Amino acid sequence: MYPQLKRGEVVANREIAPGIFLLGVRGKFAASPGQFYMLRAWELDPPLFRPMSVFALEEEAISFLYEVRGRGTGILSRLSPGEELLLLGPLGRGWDPPARPLALVAGGTGIAPIHFAAQIYGGDAFLGFRGKPYLVESFADWCRAVYVASETGEGGTKGLVTEIFRPEGYRTCFACGPEGMLRELYRLCSEAGVPLFVSVEERMACGLGACLGCAILTSRGPRRVCADGPVFPAEELWGDG
Amino acid sequence: MADLSVRIGEVALKNPVIAASGTFGFGAEYAPIFDPGILGGICSKGITREPREGNPPPRLWETPCGLLNSIGLENPGIEAFVREVLPRMLGLGTVVIVNIWGREPEEYVYMAERLDMTEAHVIELNLSCPNVPGAGLPGAVPEKVAAIVAAARAACGKPLWAKLPPEGDLIGAARAAAEAGASAVTVANTFRGMAIDIRSRRPVFSNVIGGLSGPAIKPLVLRAVYEVAKEVRVPVIGCGGIVGWEDAVEFIMAGAHAVQIGTGSFIDPLCIPKVIAGLGAFLEREGIGSLEEVRGCAH
Repeated sequence: MYPQLKRGEVVANREIAPGIFLLGVRGKFAASPGQFYMLRAWELDPPLFRPMSVFALEEEAISFLYEVRGRGTGILSRLSPGEELLLLGPLGRGWDPPARPLALVAGGTGIAPIHFAAQIYGGDAFLGFRGKPYLVESFADWCRAVYVASETGEGGTKGLVTEIFRPEGYRTCFACGPEGMLRELYRLCSEAGVPLFVSVEERMACGLGACLGCAILTSRGPRRVCADGPVFPAEELWGDG
Repeated sequence: MADLSVRIGEVALKNPVIAASGTFGFGAEYAPIFDPGILGGICSKGITREPREGNPPPRLWETPCGLLNSIGLENPGIEAFVREVLPRMLGLGTVVIVNIWGREPEEYVYMAERLDMTEAHVIELNLSCPNVPGAGLPGAVPEKVAAIVAAARAACGKPLWAKLPPEGDLIGAARAAAEAGASAVTVANTFRGMAIDIRSRRPVFSNVIGGLSGPAIKPLVLRAVYEVAKEVRVPVIGCGGIVGWEDAVEFIMAGAHAVQIGTGSFIDPLCIPKVIAGLGAFLEREGIGSLEEVRGCAH
């Protein structure tokens, strides 16, 4: 699937938790789990598109989940149904079909690519939130089981997602979330011998692998999050080499 | 269709629009979006004698209408570039400009000699990378520029373009580059800038300083091109903040033979094809036969 630059029409842009929005765009789009799009709904400034993992893909629509963090996501959050935005994608390398059973582990807005993975691959979901959980019900449509943790104890087990997840019995684990969560998950999965594939975030300029602005250092040398990732085997990122 | 072709010393370009070094990879990355063969030329990512891993993240930071970068010359090194990357670049159907960076004149000489054995069309001497210590910092120093250009000139028969920093004695450096044998000067690389994370109270880049590009710097670079074009005999290639075809026309009217587009491609992935089409339409609309008729007309 080659990336394309397309216009899309906003069909919904709903604040589903404080500062967290679910954006639905009408149109025919393509993506495989873990891939992302670069979004833009402004002229010159801010200069860069905003990379967003695909939350869900339907026949005539695509959706993205994002947290308002700065100017770009602020502009996105003010888009109303009927307004247009630019989408560049699908981009990056996502999750290949897994050996099953599959565990899906996500924290916060990291549930976005994990939700799309659930839509395509199914599996058991382990979701962690700081406060009140959101979008948990849409995982129930695709997953065999959904386990929820929140730091406040609202809507789930009180604590971190890494405290409710046990890798034993799974043959693959996909994850996305804060780096601390992913590193702890890597510790758990390595002990249990379960391969872990994580989706990571970095600031991006081109999204196409040209500018090297999003490169991170791995055991295989510098790798571009936009083109070699955003999904990497966790051992490439944090293994002993 | 208007004739957009230009001649930069020994090299003929089908149009004056060149992809700037470090923003267009090795040319193929943008191929899903548009045919890189439409370009007047493509500058490679900056190449060094040995492979370099570049700087740790973050490497990018946005500013109003600007972009700071601290990539740190990540590249596979001259040998892997020549063997694995250059042949593919030469198949793209446009002029291939290999951008090289060295710490010492000897490193430029080594790479120029290596590239002299290849089909690369032009060597662009990066005398201005803001993100690694070396020649050309903190600003343009004519003696250093002259030494590197003269050494590279003696080492190869390829056309040499000197890419200069916008700071320091730019006019002196441009003059020195021309006298030492450069066929053109690229004005300019990014401005040295920085940003501080007020929460961590530290510079955002591990290297502290980054290079500022984008529309924010366009008036500064346009002024620099105007001044250099007035003083220097060799062609000037304008580079800094070009997003629309109107920006490119301004640079040509300031005296540039060609322009390079970098950050513009991040703002709009179709920036380059739009600028090429816009230039052609402008010439036709205004009844201008060639770019030469308006080049430097603002002087």
